[in-house]
Amino acid sequence: MPEVILKNLPFLLMGLRLTAEIAFVSIIGGTVLGVLVGVVRYFRVPVLAQVADIYIIFVRGTPLLVVLFICYFGFPTLLGYQARAYYAAVLGFILFIAAYLAEDIRAGLRTVRPGLVQAALATGLARAQVIRLVVLPIALRNVIPTFFNQYVRLFKFTSVASVIGVNELTGSAMLVNGREFAPIPIIGFIALTYLVCCFVISMVGRLLYSRLAVRA
Amino acid sequence: MSYKLDWAPIWNNRDLIIEGFVTTVELSALGLVLALAIGVIVGTAGSTNSRILRSGSAAYVELMRNTPLLVHMYIWYVALAFLQLPPFMCAVFGLALYSGAYVAEIVRSGIGAVPQGQRLVALATGLTSAQALLLVVYPQALRMVTPSLASICSQLIKDSSLASVITVAELTYQATAIEGQTFRTFEVYITISLLYLLLVTIVTYGLLLVPGARDDLEQRVSDA
Amino acid sequence: MTEEPMIILDKVSKSYGPTVVLRDCTISIKRGEVVVICGPSGSGKSTLIKCINGLEPYQSGSIRVEGVEVGARTTNLPALRTRIGMVFQHFELYPHMSALDNIILAQVHALKRERDEAETRARKLLDRVGLSQRADARPANLSGGQQQRVAIARALALDPKAMLFDEPTSALDPEMISEVLDVMVELAGEGMTMLVVTHEMGFARSVADRIVFMDRGEIVEETPTDQFFSAPKSQRAQEFLSKVLAH
Repeated sequence: MPEVILKNLPFLLMGLRLTAEIAFVSIIGGTVLGVLVGVVRYFRVPVLAQVADIYIIFVRGTPLLVVLFICYFGFPTLLGYQARAYYAAVLGFILFIAAYLAEDIRAGLRTVRPGLVQAALATGLARAQVIRLVVLPIALRNVIPTFFNQYVRLFKFTSVASVIGVNELTGSAMLVNGREFAPIPIIGFIALTYLVCCFVISMVGRLLYSRLAVRA
Repeated sequence: MSYKLDWAPIWNNRDLIIEGFVTTVELSALGLVLALAIGVIVGTAGSTNSRILRSGSAAYVELMRNTPLLVHMYIWYVALAFLQLPPFMCAVFGLALYSGAYVAEIVRSGIGAVPQGQRLVALATGLTSAQALLLVVYPQALRMVTPSLASICSQLIKDSSLASVITVAELTYQATAIEGQTFRTFEVYITISLLYLLLVTIVTYGLLLVPGARDDLEQRVSDA
Repeated sequence: MTEEPMIILDKVSKSYGPTVVLRDCTISIKRGEVVVICGPSGSGKSTLIKCINGLEPYQSGSIRVEGVEVGARTTNLPALRTRIGMVFQHFELYPHMSALDNIILAQVHALKRERDEAETRARKLLDRVGLSQRADARPANLSGGQQQRVAIARALALDPKAMLFDEPTSALDPEMISEVLDVMVELAGEGMTMLVVTHEMGFARSVADRIVFMDRGEIVEETPTDQFFSAPKSQRAQEFLSKVLAH
């Protein structure tokens, strides 16, 4: 491994750790929010569904960078609070990914056969119970590949947090480059790191899917 | 809430916004054309019988896709700075290589979805391999993958915002500049959000004009 | 003492927009009776029984189950459905759960039974339908006939007063039909009130008390079994029988 990398490895690894942290929190938060929004839209809950529609149309048409700017600069100015880059970034990522996951879970809910829902109702379960115990578990299992595609995408997108000053992997790398002026090994290193991490995430997804998938 | 919304400064700077918008369109168009070219070549390679071509195609796709777009842009702008490419071209190449990988995957699966028999029939009527590909396979594959291509297209338009980081004066760059002058943070970013949304919507519905693409298009232009 | 019939349908009509699906259907089912509904496709048979447990709404008429009006706004449908079991043409087992869990689910969440008790009953029912070895199997690993038997056990787990069957063997390969019919015959022998939509005329002949013939949304005739097969009252029923029994 090139010397310049070895020398700065601890710093770069800290950046990687931050990347992983941001990605992890955003994935969990985004999944919870995304599933909620998707369910609300699928069942057309009055008022909430319309709000969700606007949210999704808006976020899906907006670049991630702009979403981050709105979270880091826009909201604080509007609402009068001081933002910390890390938290603004996580908020932005959660809002961003949830909009995509919501659409994916909505498609997943559609794949559950109406006959199955009827059968569950016929055994005396209330509608809410049917959704909770039958429809959602099946839909969630079936969308695992789609969800993990989004997770990989999010992992790559954490690099954009560097623009608002978060020292995750890309940010740290550019800082190191500012000192060492050795862009090729440094950028090569982080490109490889992203590659390996994305691969690992995809593999986890594939493993999970092979274990949990159900033929509905 | 002591912040009063004031849209006037945004309107006053509309020249900058329009300039940025035009640059975004130019950037996206050029990036898209290159991405399509790359994607068709790499994707077709991935659907051939040659092991080498298929592995090469897969390697390209995995390598390009799993590298964040921002890193792509840094590669051209920083790592390859000795080439002295203008930032605009760095962004174009970054977008093209990155999105090209996505296009390649779609082209590959699109070609794979065209029944084998089609190509064989074409060959049997005396067409060469190249003609069969061009006249028979591609058109059918295109019809099938149009929704996915539309979604890549809208993704690319939004991704172009990252060019602002390497100092390309596209829409997001101008927005930041305007914000620096007027401090109308919320208004300016909401405005460009809506402009991106508008651009993406126009392009997506424009693709509906491709014959045979209408069915399901809205449903499947999900992701980007 | 004659008691009121368990299930009473009175002039039930249903339309999907302009299409009339059920027209003035009137019928009563007494406790312990086994009634078979037959007729050509599209005659509304499935729709009719799905109205009885409220899975399908109806626009006019009345359906009373043990005195409770199914279509009334105040009726607690989930509670009603625990008293009527239903078996579907495509089995509809929950694919993400084992056979045992399929049978336990509604007991715990609809009847609020303790999990242990629910499991004991579930195992007993699996044994009764001959599948105690496959308690932990997922539906994907069970044959059609096995799945349908689990489905019957799932419906029985709630101790229903009556059972509705919607073409229970129509989706099965021929060699698996008898294993399901055997369970149904046993059930009838134990005095369960059953309403069965089916094409299996052999089953009807041996077990049913009455045959109801439907065509184009109407109940054309209802006749005691022996008489139906020897001398059906209506022309349409005669035509139908001759076609079905020809095989």
